[in-house]
Formats: sequence, C-alpha cells, structure tokens
Amino acid sequence: MSLLWLKVAVVLYGIAALAVLPAALYDRPRWRHIAIPATIAAVLFHFVSLAEMLNAAHHRLPVDTHETQTLLGLLLAISFLLIYWRYRTLSLGIFLLPICFLLGLVPAFHPSQETSAFPMIQTGWIFLHVALLLAAYAALLLSLLASLLYLVQERRLKQKSSMLPSLPPLETADQIGLKALLFGLPCMTAGLLIGSLIAQATVGPTYFRDPKILLAFAMWLVYIAMIYIRRHSGLRGRRAVYLSSFVFLVVLAVWAANEFSSVHRFTAP
Amino acid sequence: MNLVLLGINHNTAPIEVRERLAIPSTRLADATRSLLHQPGIREGLILSTCNRVELLTLQEDDETQQPQIKADLLRFLHEYFSVPPHEIQPHLYEHRDREAVRHLFRVASSLDSMVVGEPQILGQVKESYTIAREVGAVSTHLESLLQRTFTVAKKIRSETQIGSSSVSIASIAVDLAKKIFGSLAGKTVLLVGAGKMSELAARHLIQQGAASILVVNRTQSRAEKIASTFAGPAVHTEAIPFDDLYDQTPRADIVITSTGAPQKIFERSHGQLFLHARRNRPMFFIDIAVPRDVDPRVNEVEGCFVYDIDDLQQVAAANLADRSREAAAAENIVSREVDKYQERIQSRDAVPAIKALQQHAEDLRQAELARSQSKLADLTSEQREAVEALTRSLTAKLLHPQLTALRESTRPKDSE
Repeated sequence: MSLLWLKVAVVLYGIAALAVLPAALYDRPRWRHIAIPATIAAVLFHFVSLAEMLNAAHHRLPVDTHETQTLLGLLLAISFLLIYWRYRTLSLGIFLLPICFLLGLVPAFHPSQETSAFPMIQTGWIFLHVALLLAAYAALLLSLLASLLYLVQERRLKQKSSMLPSLPPLETADQIGLKALLFGLPCMTAGLLIGSLIAQATVGPTYFRDPKILLAFAMWLVYIAMIYIRRHSGLRGRRAVYLSSFVFLVVLAVWAANEFSSVHRFTAP
Repeated sequence: MNLVLLGINHNTAPIEVRERLAIPSTRLADATRSLLHQPGIREGLILSTCNRVELLTLQEDDETQQPQIKADLLRFLHEYFSVPPHEIQPHLYEHRDREAVRHLFRVASSLDSMVVGEPQILGQVKESYTIAREVGAVSTHLESLLQRTFTVAKKIRSETQIGSSSVSIASIAVDLAKKIFGSLAGKTVLLVGAGKMSELAARHLIQQGAASILVVNRTQSRAEKIASTFAGPAVHTEAIPFDDLYDQTPRADIVITSTGAPQKIFERSHGQLFLHARRNRPMFFIDIAVPRDVDPRVNEVEGCFVYDIDDLQQVAAANLADRSREAAAAENIVSREVDKYQERIQSRDAVPAIKALQQHAEDLRQAELARSQSKLADLTSEQREAVEALTRSLTAKLLHPQLTALRESTRPKDSE
C-alpha cells in the first residue's frame, strides 16, 4: 500500500513540475492553481507512504538509500511550499519539483531490497541524526538554487531584456538563499553532534579516523565559512553561486563517501 | 427595440472637438436626463471621458423612424453643447444593435482605448451607468447589457494579460525597482537634479512604500523646495548639498538623475565605491537626463543596474507590443461574448411571439368547443375530457412546426 501512495505522490509531483513552468515563467494564475494543490496533495500522499513504509519495515527511520531519498524529496517539497507561503514565489519549484519527482521515482517503481547496517536502528537519536542532516542538505540545495535564480534575474536586468520572466526579485532570492543557509547550519551541527555521540558510544574513537567522517566535519567547516563570507561581505550573484556550488560539491562528496566508508554505510556491505 | 451608439473618440476627433463635447461628471446626470427626453428614446447612457463622448440609446422599434434617429441625436449634441452639427458630423461614428454591443464590450475592456489595457475606462463606464441608473435612464434592456459588459471586461482582465505590463516611464521604473528590491517599503530614493518625469517617478516610488527622498541640486534652495513637495507623514525628505553627493549616494537604493550636466556625474568607479560602501546591496540608477548623467559602464558593476531613458522607452514599447498580442486574444473573447449576448437577446425577443401564437391557438380551440357545445351536450364527463385532450393535442401538434421554426429563427446561423 505504501508504494501505491508513493506512486500517487510521484505522479502528482510530475503534474506539479509541469504546471509550475507556465505558472512561474509566464505568471499564469491558472497553472499556479494546479501546481500548488498538486504539490500539497503530493506531500500528503508522500508523508502517508513514508510513514507506512517505515512502519511496515518495523523501524522509524529511513535506513536504506531509497527511504533516505524519499525523505529528502519530502523535505524539499515542504520547503518549496514554505517558500511559496512566505515569499509568494514559485520559481524554485522549477528545480525543486522535478527533483522531488526524480527522488521519488526509483523508490516508487523499483523498491530496494537492501538491509540495514545500523545496529541501533530503533533509537530516535539516529532518526534525528539522519533527519537533521537531510534538512541541512535540503537547505543547502535551496540556497544554491536561490543563488542561481539571483544570477539569472541579475543577468536579465543587466541585459535589459524586455521579456523578463516572472522570477523572484533579487533581494528575495538573496534572502531565501541566506535564510536557507542559516536554517541549515544548526541542523548540520546538531546532526553531526548526535552522530558523533552515537559513534563514540557504539564504535569508539576509530570511527573518527574514517575518511567519510573526516570529510563530514570538513563539510561543516566549509559550511560555516560560507555563511561567514556571505554575511560579512554581502556576497551575491556570480560569486555566491560559485561558493554555494563548491559547498554543494563537498556535500555530494560526503554523500557519495557512504559507498566507500567502512564504518558509516546505509546498508550492509 | 433598436440599440444605437453614437460617439466620437480619440481616433475620429481631435482634442479641439472632444473638449467641446466633454461633459464633466457633475453635469452628467443632467445631460443623461436631457438625452432621455429626446423623442423615441426609451433608455440611455452617456459616457464622457477625456478620450471619448458616446451616447448609448435604446430606441422605439419603428423602422420608419430609423434615419431620423441619428439626426435626433445630432440635434441633442448641438443643443446641449452649442456645437454646430456640421462640426461634429465628420468625426461621428454610429453603431447599431450587434455592432453597438461589440463596441461597448471593446470600450469597457479597454480595447478601444488610446493605451490599450489601461484600467480606468471600466471605472468610467461604471460611473456613467450609476448616474444613468440614478436618473432612471437605465432599466431592463440597458441594465442587462451593461451588466454583461462589466462581466466581459472582468473576464478579459482575468483571462488575458492585457493590463499586466506597464507602459508609462514612471510605472516601468517602479516595476524594475520591484524586480530588484521586491518590496519598496523603507527604500531610499535619491533625486539628482529636477524634472517632471523624475519627480513623477519618485511619487510612484513613494506610493509603493519608499520611505526616504533625498534631493540633490546644484542650487540648494531648489533642492529644499523639491524635497518639501514630497514631505508627508510616512516620508522622510532631505535636501543634500551638491558637494556631499558622492558621500551620500550610497544611502540610496534608487537614484533618479535628470540634470542638465554636459558630463557624466556617475562613472564606473563611483559604482564600485558605492557598492563597496553598501556591502554589495544592489543599487538602481534611473537616468532620465539627456545627455546622460550615468556612465553606461556603471551597469557592468555587479549589483548596479542602470536604465537610461532609451532603455525605459524600449521596455515601454515591448510592453505595448505584449498588450497588442494580448489584445488579439481579448478580441476573440469579445466576439464570442457578443454572439452569446445576441443569442440570449433574440431568444428573449421570441418569447412574446411564441406566447401570442399559443394564446391564439388556445382561443380558437375554446371558440370551436363553444360552437359545438350543443352537439356535445349528451357526452359523459369522461367523454368530455377525452374531447378536451384530443383538441389540445391536435392544436399542440399543429403548432409544433411553427414554434420550432420561430425558436430556430432566433438562433445565430452558425449554431444551426
């Protein structure tokens, strides 16, 4: 049943991803009236599906790659709705909704048979560790997308293009980018801290010599450096995109390192 | 009933003629009353704006009087405005029935306006309607036509983008500022030099929430005078000495320049300094001066946006072109709505004829039954009911082709 709801959610994400294009680029209210309700319905079905999926697997946290992907997709969809509610801009949906669609597509139509590698799977602390880090990744992705929108809008204003699509104003894009980063920092810090405490208690100091873990702490430092630079120099536009892209690459590297780590893996080798 | 619309507008008459026929809103009720007293007029409405004067009238359905209608309305214009008919006639247009409906829909939807898509005209039509209604000049027929007109105008506003893009320089400047800053609440505007257009732009920005107006002029007293014109409870105004221009400019989010200076006032290096002082917060330069006050290379500085008068006019032209494209879609809506309205009116017109025919048949039936009364006297009540039913059925069947033909004749040709 959980997969049925996920499939429904994926179809709704697909509809919303298509409808958001005319709604955001050409400011067509009729399409907005499709995109937003479709996303809200998708989020509800997605949530039900995730809850059923975790319940059926007798655990309360996403452990395999597909479950994690699904949770990330859900967080991104919720953040899109929150941004729409706060700033009345649909433009981020141009990127976020297709990502939600793709993140849900494989788990919905090709469920994994992976088994968990976590010995303490039932603890709420691991759930917090995973959820907080996923929220931090989602915030970083949002920040990168907002910076990209800033760049596109800035270029169009500089080129004095008469066909200005309906993108968010520069200051709004900048605020979304910065606020997403500021939201992501405590999530990342708390997520890493909880993970470290669990690792210290279960594996011991050897855990912290793993390259994946070292890379994760490096990512945290880079994240803090990025926020510092953005806040204190008012970094915007092209340079903000470069900086966000670099940090995003670091995050991707940390994510990919799960596959090579000997102590931190989603699934049993 | 004949619907007749007679008028002049910006396309047919020069301002010299239009201004002689213009009716101020204070006299509109009186003029409408006078129109209603003209011979043959059942209902009427006068629309008078700076671009048009139109008389919409519903006349008695008398074909022999039709050529006289225009002459009567011309006489009304002549008598009311003391303008000789020969001075009005060359500029006059006349629309009847279906074309009058189409014209009214187009006017209220701003398709016939000088600036297509401008929003004021619908309010002006509504004002004329309210006045005409108050003086009893609008009742059944014009009431339904005008209600339909307002619905069509709203439909066009919501289903097309006809009024979505700005076409005046001042409103384009505001739109661009919003694309940079989002909300203009609390923003600071710096006016460098004086000029009607720059002051108009500043007023538009204040209307949108700009909180501070700084004014710089080579003559300090002039700067103070301009600043005082913007003073208000929610607006901080300040006249700044010209010598402090470069020190104070970083305070401004939006800079409007319109000096007569032969050289550039703001160079690229200034843009870099300002952005540094503002910690990269964007700045918007609106350069209305000719020759220009802002070096175009300031636009190359990340975070600085420079629009000169040509740029603004190009945006205006592009927006006008957008409106023209949307106007084509709006014209299609008007055509469909005219068809629908005519169909409804014709159906409504056929109802009295259908009722009259049915009544006539019923009268004949009753008369024939009465004539045969003596011969039917011996019938039982069941047999009488059977005869009643038989005669009713017979008349209904005999009338059916005629009634169908009548209903069909009121439908538009292409729906047959």
